[in-house]
Amino acid sequence: MNRRTFMAEAGAALVGATFAPAFARAQSQPDVRLEIAPLELEIAPGKLIHTIAYNGRVPGPLIRWPEGKPIVIDVLNRSAVPEIVHWHGLEIPSEMDGAAEEGSPMIAPGGQFRYKFTPRPAGFRWYHTHAFAGHDLKRGAYTGQFGCFYIEPKADPGAYDQEIFLTLHDWNAYLAAGGDSSMDAAYDYSTINGRMLGSADAVRVREGQRVLMHLLNASASMIHWLALSGHELSVTAMDGNPVLAPRSTSAIRLGPAERIDAVVTMNRAGIWILGETREAMRKAGMGVVIEYANQKGKPRWIDPPETLWDYGRFAKPQATIRPPDEVIPLRFESKFHGQGAVATWTINGKSFPHTDTVLLKEGQRYRLQMINRSGDDHPIHLHRHSFDVIQVNSQEFAGLTKDVVVVPANGTVEADFQADNPGATLFHCHNQTHMDFGFMSLFRYMSP
Amino acid sequence: MHEVWESMIRRWMWVLLWMFAGWPGIAHGQDNYEIQVYPSETMTPKTLLVELHSNFTVEGSTTTQFGMLPTEHQEHETIELTEGINEWSEVGFYIFTAEKSGNGVQWAGDHIRPRVRAPPRWHWPVGVSLSSEFGYARAAFSNPTWSWQIMPIVDQTIGRWYWSVNGTMVWDIHVVPPPTDFTAQQKQAYYRDVAPPGVTFGPAATLTYAPSKYYNFGVEYYAYYGEWGNFVSLHNQQQQLFPVVNLFLSPKWEINLGAGWGATAGTDHLIVKCIIGRSFDWSHHRAGSSKSTP
Repeated sequence: MNRRTFMAEAGAALVGATFAPAFARAQSQPDVRLEIAPLELEIAPGKLIHTIAYNGRVPGPLIRWPEGKPIVIDVLNRSAVPEIVHWHGLEIPSEMDGAAEEGSPMIAPGGQFRYKFTPRPAGFRWYHTHAFAGHDLKRGAYTGQFGCFYIEPKADPGAYDQEIFLTLHDWNAYLAAGGDSSMDAAYDYSTINGRMLGSADAVRVREGQRVLMHLLNASASMIHWLALSGHELSVTAMDGNPVLAPRSTSAIRLGPAERIDAVVTMNRAGIWILGETREAMRKAGMGVVIEYANQKGKPRWIDPPETLWDYGRFAKPQATIRPPDEVIPLRFESKFHGQGAVATWTINGKSFPHTDTVLLKEGQRYRLQMINRSGDDHPIHLHRHSFDVIQVNSQEFAGLTKDVVVVPANGTVEADFQADNPGATLFHCHNQTHMDFGFMSLFRYMSP
Repeated sequence: MHEVWESMIRRWMWVLLWMFAGWPGIAHGQDNYEIQVYPSETMTPKTLLVELHSNFTVEGSTTTQFGMLPTEHQEHETIELTEGINEWSEVGFYIFTAEKSGNGVQWAGDHIRPRVRAPPRWHWPVGVSLSSEFGYARAAFSNPTWSWQIMPIVDQTIGRWYWSVNGTMVWDIHVVPPPTDFTAQQKQAYYRDVAPPGVTFGPAATLTYAPSKYYNFGVEYYAYYGEWGNFVSLHNQQQQLFPVVNLFLSPKWEINLGAGWGATAGTDHLIVKCIIGRSFDWSHHRAGSSKSTP
């Protein structure tokens, strides 16, 4: 990827509305075409990753699309295994959502499928494979099958001078001693936008600019922390949903599948590293250089103060919450199979596909009462809906809308959602290993 | 959370180090200060593991031989401090003590033990590590006094099973000379069986099964064969089996319990042991923070 493509990610709308034919014609011609195929990705000079990707690049093409406008996306599978594309954070029908468990079709090798839906809600969404990987750590979310999907709001104040999309990913997964006594995925390399720190062209900025960063953690299982040396990040949205009031922080945490929009005021000229706060992760490659105009020298890293992530900072404290119509208790536990094996995961004592199906009544409001009885953090995702996080451990708040929330180890989270999108709905941990080994449940709507 | 469990399981397979003087009936068991089979895994950087090794010889040697005290009813308390340096290395330090009625608590010696391993990113099918141990022990408790040990370690976890093999090679840098009244034949036997001039070999191994993440059980094997190329007779070798239980009560605490039966005349016949370990995180980073280990 050269500097132009890197910098132009946001503006290029590479396969988006700019070059798309009118929807009327899109019945025969898609607005977006994704081709799934093997790729030798050079994450650094001489470092090749054999993976699977969309349209021969990592991340896949940015899809930038106006809210409320129907879209047609053709996906052609040129890989050797069945695949499927999930449109993460979009409130669309089950059969288009891209999860086989909900009824979306798998795409056979050599096959093609046409996704048709009307993207909503506005904001920073993304797309990725939803294929099972199991013990094969070269499949599923371990691959390069992910990309950003930005649904443009009807009114965008655009209070920024430059916009960039940055995607985090980890590569060459292998099983190593992990949390909760069992094996978990570990990685050799980490990248931002498919390149290791020092291997990509720098992001060029000018002093005084306000740069809007759309940050996505597309890792299959790793929680990442990011900071921009010497700068504060003003968080404006989480998982594509605006926060009540932007808050500044010197470091942000992103669980797998979480997104953050943050505005950075470029007020400290120099050449800086935007990277993982932990040295080992930066050494593994997670970082990108931010270069002010007319500056010379080596990129510098300044350690931010140690930070604990607090969702409540971006919400309204001690708010009065409307009581739900029903509470759904969800207890997460692992089942030990040995330190040299992968644990299976249970929700209320059962592993998918044997987990209890939760029945929803359209129009009712539900509270997910999540109790994590394991030593791992779990990034929990509810398909096709957004939820309001109202409690983390004993801290109560309101006004934080997300579609992924990290339930802390041995902690609790409560989140409310409106049952307003009938159809099968998947609920799962976004850690690919956990999801593949039972950490999944299906919600269904009752017939009216 | 990975680092928490890593540090917790790091030392759960156990026991022994080297047991090298092999004279029949001699107090070679006095070398049983730290009975542990090593894993290949090293300590997490900026983490200190403090272990107390307690061994009691229920049935051992009963006479003083070559200046070494009888082992029977002798208790050994060893403090082991192990600090993780980086992803692939650590340094251990030992303080050996011996206690026996009538002799009080005696400082027996100190050793230092740097250890390196093949980093996980090498993706080897088995864990491989190399330990080097150097130190001094008082002549009343050990022969040799100064020694240097090299120990390759190979291990593997398969599901609930874990095995580890340690191949201990010791070079006696300084040994206690034989008594002056020894005959030439006795001196020859002494340098063959008690204080060989070359490198000696003593393997150790363990096999455990983990029904739960909170404990495992299994067996440990310790042996001393003698000098490379000139192994002592089976009768005079040390051969010891320890049924063991390892408990992981919390991510910071671990306990190893075992009882060892000597199978040959050259081995203390019954030793019971206990290792209590507590890890300390010196990074001062809060769990899950922007600076905690991923």
